[in-house]
Amino acid sequence: MKTIPPPCPEPESGVRYWRGLDELAGTPDFKVFLDREFPEGASELTDAPSRRSFVKLMGASFALAGLGVTGCRRPEEKILPFSKQPEGYFHGVPQYFATAMPTRTGAIPLVAKQHDGRPVKVEGNSQHPDSNGGTDAFAQASILSLYDPDRATRFTRGGNTERREVALEAFTGVAAQFAAKQGAGLVILAGHSSSPSRARLQQAIATRLPQSRWYTYESVSFDVPAQAARLATGKAVTPYYKLDAAEVVVSLDCDFLGREEDNARFNRAFAKGRKVTSAHDAMNRLYVAEALLSVTGSNADHRLRLPAGQIIALAAALAAEILPAGDAKSAAAAVAKPAGVDAKWIAECAADLVAHKGKAVVVAGYNQPLAVHALAHALNAALDAFGKTVELKEVNGASGLSLAELATALNGGQVEALVILDSNPVYDAPADLNWAETQRKAKQVIRLGYYEDETAERTDWHFPAAHYLESWGDARTTDGTLVPVQPLIEPLFGGLTDLEVLARLAGESQYKPHDIVRTTFFALAKSTSEDAWERFLHDGFLAGSASAAMPASVNEAAIAQAIQSAPKLPVPSKDALEIVFHRDSKVDDGRYSNNGWLQELPDPITKLVWDNAALISRKTAAELGLINTEFVTLEVGGRKLSVPVWITPGLADHTIGLALGYGRKKPGRVACFEGKPVGFNAGELRTAANLWIAPAAKLTASRNQHAFATTQSHWAMSGRPIVREANLAQFQKNPSFAKNFDLESHSAHIPNAADGLPKQLYKTAYTEDPEKQKSGTNQWGMAIDLSACTGCGACVIACQSENNIPIVGKDQVIRGREMHWLRIDRYFTGYKEGQRNKLIADENQWKEEWIDDPQVVNQPMMCQHCEKAPCESVCPVNATVHDEEGLNVMAYNRCVGTRYCSNNCAWKVRRFNFFDYNKRPINYGDTSAGMSGELYKGPFAKRGAAELELVKMAKNPEVTVRMRGVMEKCTFCTQRIESTKIARKSAAGASGDVQVMDVHGLKTACQQACPAEAIVFGNQMETGSRVNQWKKNPRDYSVLGFLDNRPRVTYLAKLRNPNPKMPDYRDVPLSIEEYKQMYHGDPFAEHGAAGAHGTADAHATPAGAGHGAAAKEGAH
Amino acid sequence: MAHSAHNVPTFVVAPPPELEREPLVHNQRSFGWISDKIAGIAEGKTPTWWWIALGISVTGMLMMFGMIAYLISTGVGVWGLHQPTAWAWDITNFVFWIGIGHAGTLISAILCLLRQRWRTSINRAAEAMTLFAVVCAGIFPVIHTGRVWYALMPGFLIPFPNANVIWPQFRSPLLWDVFAVSTYGTVSLLFWFTGLIPDLATMRDRATTKLKKFLYGLFAMGWTGSNRHWSNYEKAYLILAGLSTPLVLSVHSIVSFDFAVSQVPGWHTTIFPPYFVAGAIFSGFGMVLTLLIPLRSICKLEDVITTRHIELMCKVILATGSMVGYAYGMEFFIAWYGGNPYELYAFENRAFGPYWWAYWTMITCNVISPHLFWFKWSRTRMWFVFLVSIVVNIGMWFERFVIIVTSLHRDYLPSSWDYFHPTYVDVMTFIGSFGLFCTLFLLFMRFLPIIAIAEVKAVTPQADPHHPLGGAKLGGAH
Repeated sequence: MKTIPPPCPEPESGVRYWRGLDELAGTPDFKVFLDREFPEGASELTDAPSRRSFVKLMGASFALAGLGVTGCRRPEEKILPFSKQPEGYFHGVPQYFATAMPTRTGAIPLVAKQHDGRPVKVEGNSQHPDSNGGTDAFAQASILSLYDPDRATRFTRGGNTERREVALEAFTGVAAQFAAKQGAGLVILAGHSSSPSRARLQQAIATRLPQSRWYTYESVSFDVPAQAARLATGKAVTPYYKLDAAEVVVSLDCDFLGREEDNARFNRAFAKGRKVTSAHDAMNRLYVAEALLSVTGSNADHRLRLPAGQIIALAAALAAEILPAGDAKSAAAAVAKPAGVDAKWIAECAADLVAHKGKAVVVAGYNQPLAVHALAHALNAALDAFGKTVELKEVNGASGLSLAELATALNGGQVEALVILDSNPVYDAPADLNWAETQRKAKQVIRLGYYEDETAERTDWHFPAAHYLESWGDARTTDGTLVPVQPLIEPLFGGLTDLEVLARLAGESQYKPHDIVRTTFFALAKSTSEDAWERFLHDGFLAGSASAAMPASVNEAAIAQAIQSAPKLPVPSKDALEIVFHRDSKVDDGRYSNNGWLQELPDPITKLVWDNAALISRKTAAELGLINTEFVTLEVGGRKLSVPVWITPGLADHTIGLALGYGRKKPGRVACFEGKPVGFNAGELRTAANLWIAPAAKLTASRNQHAFATTQSHWAMSGRPIVREANLAQFQKNPSFAKNFDLESHSAHIPNAADGLPKQLYKTAYTEDPEKQKSGTNQWGMAIDLSACTGCGACVIACQSENNIPIVGKDQVIRGREMHWLRIDRYFTGYKEGQRNKLIADENQWKEEWIDDPQVVNQPMMCQHCEKAPCESVCPVNATVHDEEGLNVMAYNRCVGTRYCSNNCAWKVRRFNFFDYNKRPINYGDTSAGMSGELYKGPFAKRGAAELELVKMAKNPEVTVRMRGVMEKCTFCTQRIESTKIARKSAAGASGDVQVMDVHGLKTACQQACPAEAIVFGNQMETGSRVNQWKKNPRDYSVLGFLDNRPRVTYLAKLRNPNPKMPDYRDVPLSIEEYKQMYHGDPFAEHGAAGAHGTADAHATPAGAGHGAAAKEGAH
Repeated sequence: MAHSAHNVPTFVVAPPPELEREPLVHNQRSFGWISDKIAGIAEGKTPTWWWIALGISVTGMLMMFGMIAYLISTGVGVWGLHQPTAWAWDITNFVFWIGIGHAGTLISAILCLLRQRWRTSINRAAEAMTLFAVVCAGIFPVIHTGRVWYALMPGFLIPFPNANVIWPQFRSPLLWDVFAVSTYGTVSLLFWFTGLIPDLATMRDRATTKLKKFLYGLFAMGWTGSNRHWSNYEKAYLILAGLSTPLVLSVHSIVSFDFAVSQVPGWHTTIFPPYFVAGAIFSGFGMVLTLLIPLRSICKLEDVITTRHIELMCKVILATGSMVGYAYGMEFFIAWYGGNPYELYAFENRAFGPYWWAYWTMITCNVISPHLFWFKWSRTRMWFVFLVSIVVNIGMWFERFVIIVTSLHRDYLPSSWDYFHPTYVDVMTFIGSFGLFCTLFLLFMRFLPIIAIAEVKAVTPQADPHHPLGGAKLGGAH
C-alpha cells in the first residue's frame, strides 16, 4: 500500500500562490489530486493482487502505440492517406497496365509495371494477337527516357520560359487566326504515326482548314515497302511478312532482325523456324545479301557481301532466274550484272526459292531504292508468296507531302506558321536542304518536342511533349490491331501530346487526349459501350481489329518501269567509295541519343558503345593504308565529315557504313556532354538525292586516332567450344553432337540421374533442416537456345531496367568496367591455316585476313548459377553463397570487395562497382577528362539533386541499389522468384502445394523481353517444365562444363542450315574448323570424342584414359 | 659486456690451420672493435646522407598514404583494375613484399638450425627487412578491398562470434592469408626482438643520455649477461627458430594458394607452393643484397660483412634462381602434358601474347641473371652483385605481375579478354611503399645495432677457447 505523504504545511503569511482555481476553491477533487503522487490510473498498481490490471493497462498503451497515436514517427512530407483504398490497389504491390509504345509504322503492345504511381518497367503484351510478350531494346529503354532530366520541361517563347496557360492560350489564338483564313499559310510537319486519332484529327484539320498543308518527315523512313507495293499493285497497301510461314527467306539488304522497325515481331517469327528440337524438325534457311554486317546477316545461312548499290543487280539477277517471261523479267535481265558475284550463288539461291514456292519470301531493306522493293514484290508474286508468307495490308496512319516540298514552300515564303510535331529536322534533315536556315523562313515556328534540341533553338514557341507513358493515345500495330496508349503517370512536366496540339488546330471541342482517343475508339469499334472501352484498355488491344489481307496482283509494266528508271550506282572502288547510311541499332535516328542505357548498349555487331564510326572492311583499309580507329575525312559532293574508322569483319569492300543519330549538338548531357557530342553526325553528308547510299565518296586519312569504347575487344573464339554449332545435316546424323566437344566427355565423373539430366547437387541441400527440405520442390534453371538467339540486345536493356544496373560512361567502358549483368558475347569465327589459338594482340586483329568473310555466333552470357560455384568457395567473408533452390546469391551487405570471386569465375560475369555510379555524376560519352573526371573526385563530386531525384524514379524498388566496392551479378531476377513464391504460398494455404510451375508465369526479365523466346527459365523439378524439356534436348550443353562447376544455365547448340548446292557451302561451321585446329580432332568423327583424340594427338587432349565407355556415352 | 662472449659454449673444434676456413670477421678484429663499430653506427652523429635518404623516403611514404586516402575515399576505380583483371598491382605488390620478407626468417631461423655461422653478420638487418616488408605487404590486401571499413571490422575477415552466427569463409585462401601473414609477422617480430635483447643491453650500457639509457634499458628487459640469462636466451632463440622454420615455408605456400586454389588457367597449378617459396627466398636474398652492399660500404663494415658473406648469398640466389627457372619450365611442360588446352593457351599467351614483354623481362631477370653467379668474378664484384640484386628484385616483381595479370587478362571466354593498364595511382602507391620500407629501415639503422653484436663475436676465432687467438689470452684486447 502506497504511503500517502502528509499534507505540506502551508505558511500562513506572505504571498500565496496556488496551482489553479481548483486549489483556490479547495474542491474535493483537488484534495484527492494532491493526495495522489501520480495521475489517475497510475497508482492503481499499488494494489498488490492487480497484476491483471497492469497487463490491461500496458496492453492498452501498446495498442495505442501500434495505431500510431502515441508514436512520433510522422512522415515529414505531407501525405494524404486513402480514406478508402482504391479498388484493386494494394500498397507495395505493383500494378500492371496495358499500353503501347508508338513507332513509325506501328506500335509495340506493352504491359507497363507501376509501383505506387511510378512506371518502372515495360514488358510486351503477350495477350496481343501479334505479340508474344517480347519487345525490342528501344521499348525496354523507353522507361529511362521518361525520367530523363534533360527532357523539355517548360513552355518557351523565343527561348524564355513561359507559363503553360499563356502558351496554350497563345496557341489557341494562332489556331483561331488560321481558322479565319481557312488555314492559308499554316503548315504542319510531323513524323509517321499509326495513330487513328491523329489520322482523324489530320482529316478534321484538312476539312476545317482546307488551305493548310500537312508534311510528313522521318529521317529514317520505313515507307518504301508501301510505296513499292502501291506501285506494284496499284493499291494503298503495305507488305506484312509472315516469316514463321517461310522456309526460305532471302533478304536484300534487309536487316529485319535488327534495324528494320518491328524487329521484335520479325525475331519472333524468324526464330519459330529456327527452333529444332528433334532430328525430324524442319528448319528455315536464310540467304542475306548485304553491304554492312547486320544482325540479320550474322544469322544468315548464306551471306553475300555486296555494296549496297549493287543489291539491285542481285535482285534483278534473282528475278531474271525466277520471274515468268514478261516485261519485268526482261527489264530485270538488263540490269542483272552484280559485279564479282558467283553466278552459281544466284542460280542456286533462286533454285532454292523456286523449290519452296509458297513457302519462300524475299524481303528488301528500308535503305534500298524503290526498284529493289518492286523486284521483291515481283519475286514474291512469282513465288506464290502473297497470302502465304506475305500479306498485303492497309497502310497504318495517314501521310503527307515530303520535306523537300516543304523546303520549297518555305523558300517561296508561303509559310506563315510552321507547326512541328516532335520531328527534329534541324538535326537530321538532308544536308542540302540547309534546314536550320530554311526553317526560319516561316514567320512563326511552333514546336512540340520531347527535348529542347537543335530544332527547338530555332522556334518561336516550344511546348514540351509528353512521354507515351504519361499521356493518352492510340496506335495500330503492324498487323492493324488497334492498341491504346495508356498513361501510368500524370505528365511530369505538364507536357502535351500531338493529339492535344492537333485538336486545338482542328478547333475540336475535346482537348483532352483521353477524350479524343475515346471518341476515335468508339468510332472504330462501332460501339459506344463503356464495357468495350474498358475491355480495350484492360486487354491493351481491340480484338479482331487487325486489318484483313488484301488480294492483289502485280503490275508487271510498273515494275519494269521502276527497274528501268532506278538510278544506276557505280561499283565502288578505292577512289570512289560508297557510303551507306543506316539507322543505328541503339539511338535510332537520334531520338534515343539522350538515353544512357541505349548509348551504353553494345552495338550487336561492333560492340561499340557511346559512338558511331565509319565502318570499313579490312581490305579497303589496307588498300587505303588506314589503321584502325584512325580519323578520316569523307567527302561526298563537296560535303565533308571527319570521322574515325572502325574496321569491321564481313563488310563489303569499298563500302563505308555510317550510323545516323550521333554527333548531336543539343539535347542533353548524355548525347552531348558539356558541348562534346557523342559520335559523329553522318547527316552532314546526307543529301536528299543520296539519302541512303552515297556513291563516289573520297576518303582522306589523317594520323589521329580516336578512343573507341568496346565491350568486347577480342573477336575470335580461338577454337574453344564455347558456342557449339553444327549444320542441320550433322545434327540429324548425330543429335547429341554438342557433347562431343566436351573435355569431360572422356570420363563419366558427373553422375547423371535416370532422366538423363545431370544430378542436382542441391535437390535437398542442407537436409538436416526439414523446413528447408520443403523448398526442394523448386530448383531454378535456365536454358538458352543459341539457334533462336539473334543477338538483338533487348534482354540486356530489360535486365538493366529490372535490376537497377547503372551506366558507367564511355571512359569507364574503355577501362573495362561496364556493369551489364547480362551481356551478349559475339564471336567472329574464321579460319586460316597455321593460325593456332590466335595469340595476336587485340589491337592487331583487324589486320587478320580471316575476318573478311567470318561467320558470327552470339551467346547471351550471365551468371551461370553453378551448383559448385567457384566464386563461393573463394569469398573470404561468405558474401556469395548458395541457397537451397540452386541460386548463387549475393549478400551485398556482407561483401567487402576482394574481387576474388570475379577472378575465379570462368565466365567473368561478375561486375564490380569501382565507383559510386549511382551517387556520383558520370562523364557519359566524354573521355577527355580521363582520370580527372567527376567519378574520380570521390566525395567532392556531387550529383545534381534534381537529376538524381528524377533518375531515382526509374529504379525498381524491389531491387537493391548497390554502393561502390560491392560485387554484383545476375540473380535470376530473385525478386521475381520471391514474389511468385509468395503468391504460391498464399494460394497454397494448408495444401502445402508451393511448387512453382511454368503455368504460374514466372519469367526473368531477359526471358520476358526476348522476342525470339530463346531463353527459358523455370523450375527444373517440374517434369514437364520447358526448362526441364530443353535441358533434355540432345543439343543441350554447359559452357566450360569440364570445370565441373555444374552451371544451372545451359545452352542449346546453334544450328545452321546451309544449302549443300551453294558455292559457299561448308561441311561444318567455321567455328568447328577452328576447333579442329586447336584440338586436332573432328567432333563428328564416328564415336566422336574417341576418334577425335587418336593416338598421335593424345597430348593435346585431357587424360587419354577411359575413352571406350565414355566415348560411347558422348556419341550416342 | 664484451666479456660475455666468452660464455658462449663452443662446440666447434678448430680445424688444422691448412684446412682453416676464411674467417667470418676479417683483420682479426677484437670484441671491443666489433662493439664499438656496430654500436657506433647508431650512436654517432647523424650523417647528412641519412637525413637526405630519410627525407626522400618519408616523402615517398606520405605519397603512398595520400594515394591510399584517395583510393579509400573515391573507390577502387582510381586504380587501373577492370574486368577481367580484378587484381593487378595490388596483389602483385602484396606478394612481392611478402616474398621479400622471406629472406630474414630463413637466414635467422633455418640457417640457425643448420648452424650456418655466417648468418650472424647479416641476420639482424635481414630480419628487420622482413618485418618492414611484412608491414608493406600487409597494407595491400587491406586497401585493395572495395569496402575497407568492413574488411577491417571484426566478423568479416577476422573470426568473431556474433549474433548473426556469420563466420568468415574458412574455405577461402584469402582468409588463410589473414592468419598466415599475421602469424608470420608476429613470430618474426618476436624472433627479431629476442635476438636484439643482448645488443639492446650493450646499447643501454653504452648510452650517454638518460632517455637513451631508459629506452634501451626498457627494451633490454633487464639483461645482465648472466649465465642464466644466456641459457634462457639460447633456449628461447632456438624455440623461436624452430617455430619460424615452418612459417618460412607456410606463408608463401599459403600466399600461393590464393592462386593455386582457384580455377584460373595459369593459376591452378600444384607446383605453386614450392615454387613460390623458392621464389620468395630468391627475392628476399636479392633485397638483402640490395640493402647490405651499400650499407656495408657506407658504414665501413667490410670486415664483418665480408666478401665471403656476399658470395654465399650469391650462391643462395643462384640455387633458388635455378629452382625458379626450373619451375617456369615445368609449368610449361605440365600445361602441355596435362592436355588442357585452356591451360596451354594461358602459358603460350604469357610468352607470346600481348604481355610477352613482361614475361621475357621476368625470364631475363630471374632465370638468366642468377646464372652469372656461377663465376667467382661476378660474386666478388660488389657493384656487379648489387646490380644483379636489383635485377632480381625487378624480375621477381614481374614474376608476380606475370602470374596475376597475364592469367587473368585472358582466361576462359575470349569475349572478356582485355588488356590491363595501370594508372598513376597504382604506380605511386607501389613506389610509395618503398618509401615506407626505406623509412622504417633508416630508422632501424639509426637507432638499433644493424648487426647482431653478440652473435658476431661468437663466430670470431677469439671466441673459440681452443683457437690460437681464442680464450683468455688475447680476448678483450683492443
